[in-house]
Amino acid sequence: MATLQELWELFSTRQGEFWQVMWQHVHMSVVALLFAVLIAVPLGIILTRKQKLAEPIIGVAAVLQTIPSLALLGFMILLLNQIGTLPAVVALTAYALLPILRNTYTGIQGVDPSIQEAAVGMGMSSFRKLRKIELPMAMPIIMAGVRTSMVLIVGTATLAALISAGGLGDFIMTGIDRANNAYILLGALPAALLALFFDFILRMTEKRSQGKTLAPILAVLGLSVAIALAPLFSFAQQPQITIGGKITAEPEIIANMYKHLIEEETDLMVDVRTGMGSTDIAFNALQSDDVDVYLEFTGTALTTLLNQTPEPGTTEEEVYEQARTGLMEEYDLAYLEPMAFNNTYALAVRGETAEELGIETISDMETYRDQLTAGFTFEFADREDGYIGLQDIYGFSFENVETMDSGLRTRALTTEQVDFIDAFSTSADIIEYDLALMEDDENLFPPYQGAPLMKQETLEEYPELEEPLNRLGGMITDEEMQEMNYKVEYDDEDPYDVAEEYLQSVDLL
Amino acid sequence: MIRSAFLTLYARQQATMTKKGLDDMISFHDITKQFADQSTAVENFNLTINKGEFFVLIGPSGCGKTTTLKMINRLIEPTSGRITIEDKNITEWNRQELRWNIGYVLQQIALFPTMTIAENIAVVPEMRKWKKAAVEERVDELLNMVGLDPDTYRNRRPSELSGGQQQRIGVIRALAGNPDIILMDEPFSALDPISREQLQKDIRQLQADIKKTIVFVTHDIDEAMAIGDRICLMKDGGIVQVGTREELVNEPADDFVKNFIGDRRDPWDTRVKEVMNPNSHLLASTQDISDYPLYPAPLYIFKDDRTYVGRQAEEGIVSNDPAIHPEDTLKHALKSFDNTELEALPVLTGSRIEGVLSYKDIVQFMKKSQLEQEGELV
Repeated sequence: MATLQELWELFSTRQGEFWQVMWQHVHMSVVALLFAVLIAVPLGIILTRKQKLAEPIIGVAAVLQTIPSLALLGFMILLLNQIGTLPAVVALTAYALLPILRNTYTGIQGVDPSIQEAAVGMGMSSFRKLRKIELPMAMPIIMAGVRTSMVLIVGTATLAALISAGGLGDFIMTGIDRANNAYILLGALPAALLALFFDFILRMTEKRSQGKTLAPILAVLGLSVAIALAPLFSFAQQPQITIGGKITAEPEIIANMYKHLIEEETDLMVDVRTGMGSTDIAFNALQSDDVDVYLEFTGTALTTLLNQTPEPGTTEEEVYEQARTGLMEEYDLAYLEPMAFNNTYALAVRGETAEELGIETISDMETYRDQLTAGFTFEFADREDGYIGLQDIYGFSFENVETMDSGLRTRALTTEQVDFIDAFSTSADIIEYDLALMEDDENLFPPYQGAPLMKQETLEEYPELEEPLNRLGGMITDEEMQEMNYKVEYDDEDPYDVAEEYLQSVDLL
Repeated sequence: MIRSAFLTLYARQQATMTKKGLDDMISFHDITKQFADQSTAVENFNLTINKGEFFVLIGPSGCGKTTTLKMINRLIEPTSGRITIEDKNITEWNRQELRWNIGYVLQQIALFPTMTIAENIAVVPEMRKWKKAAVEERVDELLNMVGLDPDTYRNRRPSELSGGQQQRIGVIRALAGNPDIILMDEPFSALDPISREQLQKDIRQLQADIKKTIVFVTHDIDEAMAIGDRICLMKDGGIVQVGTREELVNEPADDFVKNFIGDRRDPWDTRVKEVMNPNSHLLASTQDISDYPLYPAPLYIFKDDRTYVGRQAEEGIVSNDPAIHPEDTLKHALKSFDNTELEALPVLTGSRIEGVLSYKDIVQFMKKSQLEQEGELV
């Protein structure tokens, strides 16, 4: 368990980032809540006037809420064809509609019919009745719905980090990825406090306006609009190039190296946006111009993006060439020079176990297939170049296979719940947990070398990008990468600094 | 004398008839209301409510009285027919403006809970765009009128008031915009008996002071009797009888009316013809007169065709005694006795003698009706 002190230290060192993600979280939540209110309250009012529509429309909102939040976020990426704040806000808004809509509807429906009749009988117009009688009377119920939605939004917004929208989820995802409780808490605790704080504000607003006046509510609404519009008035220099990266430390380090190199050698400003949950998200982001460049691995490019399988035994160069031509032909993308390290899949056995059993290759493991428990990621278990291919090529399967999230596996490994895991060959875990990589003696795993992937048109627009991006071609060994990953994941150094340090050590800066 | 009485009566009737034309406030012309489920609430309904009248609609539940009321301020639209206010079809008004001019008091009171008392009262004046000072003045004036101290109650919420106080506010809220008409839909039925009686008294007084046309729906006949100038008894969407309290009691149109209002006949309202003795021994024809000694006194003499001659007295025939009409009530007849020492008076239609009414007759009748009432109670 992370102690409070650890948490405090982390907060102190990560303060700048903390306030940034905090602001992102607040902004995202407020915008989503604002939209949800602006849609659901008028809609709820309309439904009280058009009763026949009420049931189907509230039903639709209810269905939206039954969609798991992560799935909704993923769905929005496909629907809007981009990543980041927009799909996150849309998903959060959709998610928050139901409580507000339902409470607005039932709140107004719940106004005593005799009071409605009194208002009409005294000669109020429908609008005046709404403003003077129905809304004030329904306000506590509407506000309860808004508060429910707000808590939903603030909580769910932590998942937005997965689609690169930032927010406190960044810390939580980093924490899960690195099995670091302090990070998780640094994201989760403020998120909870934020929810409480918003709830407090909304409750005060409601109390203040209790039937008397809508002024406090309008004030809060105005403030929300101000927060929502704030980014429009920021005068920070707009970066021209955005470099994306998937969620782990490695892409973040490399992306930062690109940033250093581009900013050093050209006049372009670079923004780094990492934390994309999967290959699909990053690739969609590239295609929809949310990012201009991201680090893609040759093996992934070939198998996931091009749906091709490399022949077993193909060399690193051949795989890269195959991926490069394929990407160019199919997507008109430029795939620049790959780096040296090969971050491929590997089976990593606890060091002592490997020594005890005297196993060095995957073939060696067959003897112990009923004794060794595997801890595979969902992705690995389901890949042709993963466990499925392994069973084909090596001709055996393991007796006990647990599938789990990647962040949880190392913990399972140290607590000896599993004996070996699928690991990336540049993973910092190999150093931290003293793991032995089993040699892929049948050449099952294709090479996974990192290389910058970008649209050809981007390259044509900014030809000066090619040189700095190619500077890393053939650089960085597996061990160097493991070490840098270790620095970020276990020593909690800033990827930006780690990148700079390396570049200086090889005289590129 | 009789002739002059008749003339007076005739003149008064003429006067009300001409006045009636000017004083029509609300008129229903062939109104029929059918609801969506084809049930008929009101059918071929014709009624005129006079200006400044306290008019009560009463009847058993489902008789259409509330539907009738709500058609006046267009909360319910008639299926056919038209309703006029001061001879103008109510559909010619802007619906909202029509309602600003028609106060509305509900059974459920229905004060707006999120507003203060003052805000509740000010609803219509504000819609009528009165000046703020005028609205405030009006609020205080109305609160004073129903005996609620403005400084104490102005800023309270409806929930802080008792039921009786709330409905007082309900009534003055309806009055606030100075409407010509006030509709009250069973306004006191949700109140406890003491508050109800007090408010009935108050509203009666209020109406006497402000002279508004009030249309009041109730199912409580005692309430209707206590406050209505005229009462319209309804049944199955139609009118059974319209009239003053006395008319309904004394001349019920049918058994339904009789049963609905119950036996509230005041024995003193009984017609003289039902109490008098047509064959009294105090009567004698001119032919028989010789058979009679100077006994008993008084002795009323008539000719063979029952033309009244006079009373035989010591000093001769006296023909200027006060006479009683057979259609007079006992109450009225009693007044005639005030002006004389006589214990019996002749009952005359014109110059024809119908009988004699004596103190003894009255006492016997009262005793009998007393016994009947007690019998009913048992």
